[in-house]
Amino acid sequence: MNKYIAIVGSNADKSTNRQLLQYMKQHFAPVAEIELMEIKDLPVYAKNADRKTPEQALEMAKKIDAAAGVIIATPEYDHSVTAALLNALSWLSYSVHPFVDKPVMIVGASYGALGSSRAQGHLRQVLDSPELKARVMPSSDFLLSHSLTAFDDTGNLIDADNTKLLDGLFQDFEKFVEITKQLNGTLSQDKVNATNVSWQDKK
Amino acid sequence: MKLVGIVGSIADQSYNRMLLRFMSTQYRNMADIEILDISDVPMFNQSNDQSDSPAIQYLNHKILAADGVIIATPEHNHTIPAALKSVIEWLSYNLHPFTDKPVMIVGASYFIQGSSRAQLNLRQILESPGVNAITLPGNEFLLANAKEAFDESGMLKDDRTASFLGSTLQKFVEFVGVIGHLNGRADNPGASEDLYATGNCDTTVKDVDMRDPQWLEKAAEKTNAVSGDAYVKLDRGLLTVNQIDRFLKTMPVELTFADENNQFIYYGDQGHDPKDMLASRTPDQVGDPLYYVHPERALKGVATVINNLRNGKTDLFVLPVPGNGPTKHLMHYYKAMHDEDGVYRGINEWVVDLWPIVASYLKQTGKKLVDDPNAKVAATTGASSSAPVEPDPDASTGASEEEEAPTAPTTDASTGASEETEAPMADATTKASDADIFVAEVDETSGASEA
Ligand SMILES: Cc1cc2nc3c(=O)[nH]c(=O)nc-3n(C[C@H](O)[C@H](O)[C@H](O)COP(=O)(O)O)c2cc1C
Ligand SMILES: Cc1cc2nc3c(=O)[nH]c(=O)nc-3n(C[C@H](O)[C@H](O)[C@H](O)COP(=O)(O)O)c2cc1C
Repeated sequence: MNKYIAIVGSNADKSTNRQLLQYMKQHFAPVAEIELMEIKDLPVYAKNADRKTPEQALEMAKKIDAAAGVIIATPEYDHSVTAALLNALSWLSYSVHPFVDKPVMIVGASYGALGSSRAQGHLRQVLDSPELKARVMPSSDFLLSHSLTAFDDTGNLIDADNTKLLDGLFQDFEKFVEITKQLNGTLSQDKVNATNVSWQDKK
Repeated sequence: MKLVGIVGSIADQSYNRMLLRFMSTQYRNMADIEILDISDVPMFNQSNDQSDSPAIQYLNHKILAADGVIIATPEHNHTIPAALKSVIEWLSYNLHPFTDKPVMIVGASYFIQGSSRAQLNLRQILESPGVNAITLPGNEFLLANAKEAFDESGMLKDDRTASFLGSTLQKFVEFVGVIGHLNGRADNPGASEDLYATGNCDTTVKDVDMRDPQWLEKAAEKTNAVSGDAYVKLDRGLLTVNQIDRFLKTMPVELTFADENNQFIYYGDQGHDPKDMLASRTPDQVGDPLYYVHPERALKGVATVINNLRNGKTDLFVLPVPGNGPTKHLMHYYKAMHDEDGVYRGINEWVVDLWPIVASYLKQTGKKLVDDPNAKVAATTGASSSAPVEPDPDASTGASEEEEAPTAPTTDASTGASEETEAPMADATTKASDADIFVAEVDETSGASEA
C-alpha cells in the first residue's frame, strides 16, 4: 500500500480543502495511507544569507521525500493559489527540493461554482518551475464547487458523481505513480538542475 | 502626480527595489514615486484577521492616497513571491484599496525570462473581483539578468532599457490621468496629498518625532546643524547663520516654509506675540505635519492648494484675507518652490499687510479711494459677513495684472461656497490665522466666531 502526503493549501482553522483531504484519507484508507500535512506557522519566505530553511519545512521535505506521491488541495484566493501555499512551496524549493520528479495530484474546493479552477491552473504552472519540477498528473482536475455544502455531517461527499469522479482520479493517480517510476531517465539530472537554479541567485 | 511603488520582494538586497529606486529618481519630473516595503506584513490568514495592524493599515492608506500604484515583482517558482501575494490577500479581504486603482507592473529577474510569468500572473490576480485594480494594458517592462543591469550608483546601464522604461512610465502617467477622470478623482485633486507627512523627502530628518514641541532642537542636533557664526554659501552671497536670521526677521512679510513632504519646517519668528502676528504661529509648531496646524474644516482646501502647486496647475496661489478693519489688507501668498531640475520642493508662504503700501501711494499721489459702482467684489470685505471668501484674487485685490492672478484652485470656489467648513480661506470675522494654509489656530474657539 502506497503512502501519500496530502498538503492542505489553507492556513485557516476552517477549510473545506482540509475537509476534502480528510474525506480522501478516510475514503481511500483501504487502498492507500494518506497523511495530512499543514502549512501554517511557516515564516514568510525570504532569501537569507546562509540559505537556512526552517526546521518545520525540513521535516515536511523529509516526509515528502519518503512518500510515493503528494496530493495538494488548493483553495482559490484572488484567482490564484493562496500565499500560504506559495510560501510553503518556496521553502520546499530553496535549500531542499523534495518535489523534484514527485508525482502530484491536484484537487481543490471553492465556495463558488468554479471549484478553484484558476488556482489549480496556477498551481500546475508553479509546480512545473525548475526548482520544484514535480510531475503533476495531466488532465485530471478535481474541482469541488460550492464546497460549503458539499459534505454531510459525517464528512462524506454528498454528491455521488463527485465521489465516483474522485475514485476514478485516485485510481489513475496510483497508476500515474507507477508509471512515473519508469520515467526516471532524467531523475538524477533533474535533482542537480533544481539545485543549480537556486544556486544562481546566491550572491 | 503621486504614485506608490510596491517592492514585491522582501529580500534585503532586491533588484526590484533597485528598479523602483531608479524609477523614482530618474523620472521624478514625471511623477512623485514613493517606495513602499512589505517586509513587516504577516502571512495572510483568514483565521487571524490583522487588517487593523499598523503594517497593513499603512499600506492601505498609502495606496488609497496615491493616484496610481507600481508593483515591481520578482519571479519565484514561475509566479509572484508569497510575501507579495499575502499583501494582496490582506488588501482584498476586509480592505480594498486597489479598487479602481491604476496599476503598472514591472519586474526584475535573474534570468532571461525576466519575471514574465510572474507579471502575467500578477495581472490576473489584480483583476480578480476582490482586488479589482485597473492594470495598464500591454506595456510590459521585464528587466532580465538583473544582476548585470545596474551600475554601482543604481542606474540602469543600458540607455535603451532606461528610455523604454521611461516611455512606459509616461504611458502609465497618462493612463492614471484617464482612469482618474473616470473615477472622478479629478474633482478632488487634494485627495492624494498626505497632510500627515508620513512619507519623507531627502531632507526629512529621520527618527525625530515631527510633533515634538522640541522638534527643532532635536532635529538640529541630529543633523549637526550649523548655527551662529557659521558661514553659509548662498546663491549669491556669503552670510553667517546669524546674518541670515537677522535678514529674514526684518523682511516686511511673515515667512513660512513647508517642504514637499508637507512638513512645516520654518517660520520667521519676528519676536511678536503670536496673537499679534498677521498669521499666528507658535515655536512648538515647527516640525509639525501640516495636518496638525490646521483646523479640520480647512484641510480639504489646504490639500487642494498644495496639490495644485505640486502639480504645477498653479505656481502662485494668492489668498486675500479681508475683515481686519479699514486699515489692514492682508494677503497670503503661496509660491511653489522647485529645484534646479524643476522638481517640486515645497511652498514659500508669505503673509503681508498691503495697506501701508496703498496708504503711502495715496499719500504720495494725493489720490483717494472711492467705490467702483461697477465692481463685482464679493460682499466679503464687509467685516460683518461670515460668508467664506471666494479665492478669487481678481475680485478682491482689484489687481489687473494678469500674472499676479493665477488661476486659483477654483475647486473650492464651486464646492466650497456652500460648505464653508472646507475652504482654506478666511471668513471675514476670523483673524488671518484661520485662513492660513500652513498654520491656522490650533485653538478652534478663537477663530470660530461664526459657529
Ligand atoms: C482573500 C480571499 C480571496 C478569495 N478569492 C477567491 C477567488 O478568487 N475565487 C474563489 O472561488 N473563491 C475565493 N475566495 C473564497 C474562498 O476562500 C475560496 O472559495 C476557497 O477556495 C475556499 O477554500 P477553503 O474552504 O479551503 O478555505 C477568496 C477568499 C479570500 C479570503
Ligand atoms: C525560491 C526561488 C524561486 C525562483 N524561481 C524563479 C523562476 O521561476 N523564474 C525566474 O525567472 N527566477 C526565479 N528565481 C530567481 C528570481 O529571478 C530572483 O530571485 C528575483 O526575481 C530577483 O528579484 P529580487 O532581487 O527583487 O529579489 C527564483 C528565486 C527563488 C529564491
